[in-house]
Amino acid sequence: MPEAMLPPETILGAWVAAGLTLFIYSFLYKDNPLFKLSEHLYVGISVGYSVVLAWHTVFLRLLWEPLKKSIGEAPASPDSYVLLIPAALGLFMLTRFIPQVSWLSRIAFAFVVGFGSGVAIPRTISSYILKQIEDTVNPLVPAAGGGFSAFMDFALPQSGVNTVILLIGVVSVLFYFFFSVEHTGAGMVTARTGIYFLMIAFGAAFGYTVMSRISLLIGRFRDLITFSGAAYSYATLVLLAVTVLSLVGWEVVVRRQNGERTRE
Amino acid sequence: MKAFARRMVGIDRRVIFLLIAAAILLPMLKPFGLPIKVSPEVKAVYDYIEALPERSVFLLSFDFDPSSKPELEPQAVALLRHAFRKNLRVIGMTHWLTGTGLADGVFSQVAAETGRERGKDYVFLGWSPGGSALIISMGQDLYQAFPSDYTKTPTRGMPVLEGVRNLRDVNYMVSLAAGGAGIEMWYVFGKDKYRFEMAGGSTGVIAPGLYPFLRSGQINGLIGGLQGAAEYETLIKRKGTATAGMDAQSAAHFVIIVLVILCNVFYFILRGEKGSPR
Repeated sequence: MPEAMLPPETILGAWVAAGLTLFIYSFLYKDNPLFKLSEHLYVGISVGYSVVLAWHTVFLRLLWEPLKKSIGEAPASPDSYVLLIPAALGLFMLTRFIPQVSWLSRIAFAFVVGFGSGVAIPRTISSYILKQIEDTVNPLVPAAGGGFSAFMDFALPQSGVNTVILLIGVVSVLFYFFFSVEHTGAGMVTARTGIYFLMIAFGAAFGYTVMSRISLLIGRFRDLITFSGAAYSYATLVLLAVTVLSLVGWEVVVRRQNGERTRE
Repeated sequence: MKAFARRMVGIDRRVIFLLIAAAILLPMLKPFGLPIKVSPEVKAVYDYIEALPERSVFLLSFDFDPSSKPELEPQAVALLRHAFRKNLRVIGMTHWLTGTGLADGVFSQVAAETGRERGKDYVFLGWSPGGSALIISMGQDLYQAFPSDYTKTPTRGMPVLEGVRNLRDVNYMVSLAAGGAGIEMWYVFGKDKYRFEMAGGSTGVIAPGLYPFLRSGQINGLIGGLQGAAEYETLIKRKGTATAGMDAQSAAHFVIIVLVILCNVFYFILRGEKGSPR
């Protein structure tokens, strides 16, 4: 049975995606004009997309339309004009570009900093400090009377073994960054233990980062394989040939120019 | 031996790129089906959703953009398939402006596949500015924060949002995050204040930093990277793109481990030579 034809915009999208992916990966050979073209396209399109979406969502949906509606319904009510306050604060931010009135931006920044700090400080202390300290000093003997759970079950976060490891890790790492005391004798052992904990943490983070980057590569390869089929008019294969031929051509031109320069 | 080690240490990096490309491509073209073991942190998310009664409110925040699509899109698809299968009411949104179109596409695709209706079974609210302030605003009045959804339909009166006034009416929430504006922000300004249960799905890069939140119970589950997505696909018994990528992932990791070991062997062989690495 013949495959259903894909819409032209889907095929065009596949060609653009496959082409730009290959152009970006051409950087693995060396920096070249194809890579630069796709890099600039990426930056430009991201910014353009963000500006358009912000215009529609922030300006039109959250400011212009509600303002128009409220003024239309009750033009005499002061409440109808309340959105002009955040609008004015937003405009004050832009006065940074005009030196004569740039002092107005301080009002907007003061509002942002004041509001931001007021909202963030108590919540951050509660979530990042108090909750984490609470977890670090878990009791070895649970209040329920279950006794000291010293079994080697690393998968169970609340096991006694994990609690002891966590406590040693936190204390030794904190001590490593405590520079007011010379790290000798018992202090050196503690600081060294802290270094080992840090190295294990960095190793875990690096391992996860490698996994993450490989996953991204798998994602792009998956799309490239999909786009190499007949349904997408062999986009990947055609564009791979175009990319390789372009790189060969560019390399020949660059080498010739370098040769001429050397002769001169 | 030393000559060989010297040649290997100075090998063109592009050879390594080719090795990694081959390690990924070959299993993708001919998968060998390695088993996928489900971790307790992924199972916790599945179990919580599984235990929710029908028509419960499930909030899914797409806090990523296309640069993290290969890792987080499979997680989103698996979670949505599970939520729709359980007949939950799903509210979608994003804190990442550039991820708006991607998130709407995922919603539309999975909803079409499962026969769910926009406005009745799910709503995608889109993006709104503010980050933490937006979460606080949603905690006070959802309709003030999002007067209309992504398709410009007014949110007030939508069947999917019946009985939902603010974040306190959300039964479960998952943030799929690629950075700061995601799981941590939802916990700090959302769950901690408005008391709803939540979990996280993240890219591999930020996953290690989220384990302290998991351990302390601040989030009840964590889906980490493509591996986490594959585990979730295993749990819902619906294989997808994450499961398909796991063989390639394992093969690439194997190649990297072998290369690291070989580099260390060459390093020890050449140690002490003049001009060799120390």
